[in-house]
Amino acid sequence: MKKVVIASMIVCAVFVCSLLVYAAAKPGFDDKEIRIAQWGPQTGPAAPWGSVARGSGLLFQMVNDEGGIHGRKIKYFIRDDQYNPAQTKAVVKELVEREGIFAFVGGVGAACGMAVKDYLAQNKIVWVAPSTAIDEYVFPVNPYIFAIYPLYDDEASILTKYAVEKLKAKKIAFFYQNDTYGKSGLKGCKSRMKALRMKLVEEISVEPGEKDLSSQMLRLKNSGADVVIMWVNPTSAAIALKTCSTIGFKPQWISSDTLSDYPLMNKITGGLWEGVITGMFGLATSSNDPRMIKYREAAKKYAPEERFGTFYTAGAMYAEPLVDALKRVGPKLSTEAFIKQLNATKNFQGIGPLINWSPKVHQGTDSIQITKCGPNSSYITLQDWTKNELATWKKK
Amino acid sequence: MKRDYYEDVELFKSGTILAWSVVLLIFLFTVPIYLPSYNVYLLNVILVNVILAIGLNILVGYTGQISLGHAGFFAIGAYGTSLIMMHLHFPFLVALMIAALIAAFFGFIIGLPALRLEGPYLAIATLGFGLTIMHIIGRWDIFGGRMGITAPPLDLGISDSSLSWVIAGDVKIYYLILIITILLVVGARNLMKTRVGRAFMSIRDDDIAAEVMGVNLTIYKTMAFAVSAFYAGVAGGLYGFVVGFFDPFTFNLILSIIFLVMITVGGLGSIMGAIMGAILITYLQYDLLKNVENLPYLGGLLMTLSRKWFTVIGLANFSSIALGLIMIAIVIFEPLGMFGIWIRIKKYWKTWPF
Repeated sequence: MKKVVIASMIVCAVFVCSLLVYAAAKPGFDDKEIRIAQWGPQTGPAAPWGSVARGSGLLFQMVNDEGGIHGRKIKYFIRDDQYNPAQTKAVVKELVEREGIFAFVGGVGAACGMAVKDYLAQNKIVWVAPSTAIDEYVFPVNPYIFAIYPLYDDEASILTKYAVEKLKAKKIAFFYQNDTYGKSGLKGCKSRMKALRMKLVEEISVEPGEKDLSSQMLRLKNSGADVVIMWVNPTSAAIALKTCSTIGFKPQWISSDTLSDYPLMNKITGGLWEGVITGMFGLATSSNDPRMIKYREAAKKYAPEERFGTFYTAGAMYAEPLVDALKRVGPKLSTEAFIKQLNATKNFQGIGPLINWSPKVHQGTDSIQITKCGPNSSYITLQDWTKNELATWKKK
Repeated sequence: MKRDYYEDVELFKSGTILAWSVVLLIFLFTVPIYLPSYNVYLLNVILVNVILAIGLNILVGYTGQISLGHAGFFAIGAYGTSLIMMHLHFPFLVALMIAALIAAFFGFIIGLPALRLEGPYLAIATLGFGLTIMHIIGRWDIFGGRMGITAPPLDLGISDSSLSWVIAGDVKIYYLILIITILLVVGARNLMKTRVGRAFMSIRDDDIAAEVMGVNLTIYKTMAFAVSAFYAGVAGGLYGFVVGFFDPFTFNLILSIIFLVMITVGGLGSIMGAIMGAILITYLQYDLLKNVENLPYLGGLLMTLSRKWFTVIGLANFSSIALGLIMIAIVIFEPLGMFGIWIRIKKYWKTWPF
């Protein structure tokens, strides 16, 4: 009998305690702080992309050291989701409902973002600069998502134009990963070729994870292409370049900005990356732009162990328009006022492209720079910010 | 003292167990009232993993086979349910059943080589299956390719008609999953007490002896795979709606291994063990140390340690280390898994206060 009494008391105690834990979703800011958050794979298979989230933290740290924004400091949360959408949803819900988040920034992973996009919109939480280019984020316009990542088809179109007009390429081949990323690139390239009345001499797809690319590379060689545009992941690119160097095929390689981390690419290709031309949608880490110099100094001070690579600076780049809009809002902060200022962003220039948002268009940019990998993984700028005049979404 | 056979197969062995089960059920059905919604989401993920772990334990713990491909059955369930609902407009439960049966069919197919394969060889065969499913889904446009698909609205009735009954929000989904989980737990418990369950266990203990006693190995081994895959299919179908969006990479090898970890840590060959393992591992993976920097003293201490000795990733490192340590500790100190701990606690209480 006594045991039963004690046991039921324990049950009651658990019930009561759990009642106390209850808390509703909190507002994302108060008089002292604005809470901003980002998810990112810090551990697991995609851990190298985790530096994006830490890069945004660098900018927030700098802002706080200058006294914050209108008296409020930025409190920044990074959560590890291991690149798993189920975990992304868990950490985002936890942050929104336990901490109270004003806005999310960056956020690596297409599936991760897609899993939380609707939840964020339902809770009226702004999401600035998703770290992937996905049509579903911006078409049709989602009032809470503000994108700055150039769409892959725009980028491919600009690079194709450069290849034809500046490199005088006669025969262009396209080598792409068989998924949305690769296919968007192919689409952009084809629409440009059509406008130029040309045709691709070869288009070859690759499955991510495929380790033997010799048959594909032989086909590229036999096509006689002088320029090969590739829309693949770093591993496939490395295998492709190595295979081509053994079969003696040396075209001009052009790639999307996802492979623009030259030191990394040179490391995994064994130095073959030199001479490859890529798109860039942020300034090179070695750039002498005053903003980049400032970030370099700050990184030395706050995060000396961090490699100052393109993913890291991309994180800062994603946070720039957010900080800019927060400054313009002034001391009377609210989500509505913040969205209004984001929508009023005109020709904002950070270390990324010019950003323009309006209530009707939330795809902030369509421009990239074109750079070439020089000796010692240096960045040589071939062409400054270039827009895609063929972009279909701008005409709507 | 048991006086006849039916006492041995009873669902509730005594009035005390029945009473406690009722208390537990009441608690489970009222949980969303006390918990903020992100915890309800976590509960949903836990329940999905509980279903899967029970199914996997039937195969690994009770029948003594091994599978490194359960993420494959999980994926079949997730994609099957969502695609059947999107394209054929079937009600959710019907779609879930069909998808789970498809998974069970694949389980049966995988069960066939299992008749001749054992141990590491079987592990490799099932591993191959899991990876193949992931890649096939990734290459096929109807499955949304590598981009993945968004789950349709969870409709218990027929969509786009007056019979539509859409369930949205974590709390409602929680009740749906809870009911299905309870049914499947009771189902598994019953199955293990029947002739089939005993046949599974005799195969685990010695398959030759089992065959001599008249257990048809072909039927029961493939059946164990099919039942296990069925559970994984149901879990997958529910998982799709819990997360709302999934891509092929979600169902990778790591996931299959985590499932195995759940039942090993929880306790092989016990339903209670599968449940406890699924709860613990999911909780550790999803919630452990995510807020540690805000803890008094410990948070600051770990931050300093991390700055001094660990990589720039920071506290995320500790999460992985702690998860690994807990798994190792349980397996070393409690070979029966958490189920062993549970048995000891039970014994302690039975003789309490002595």
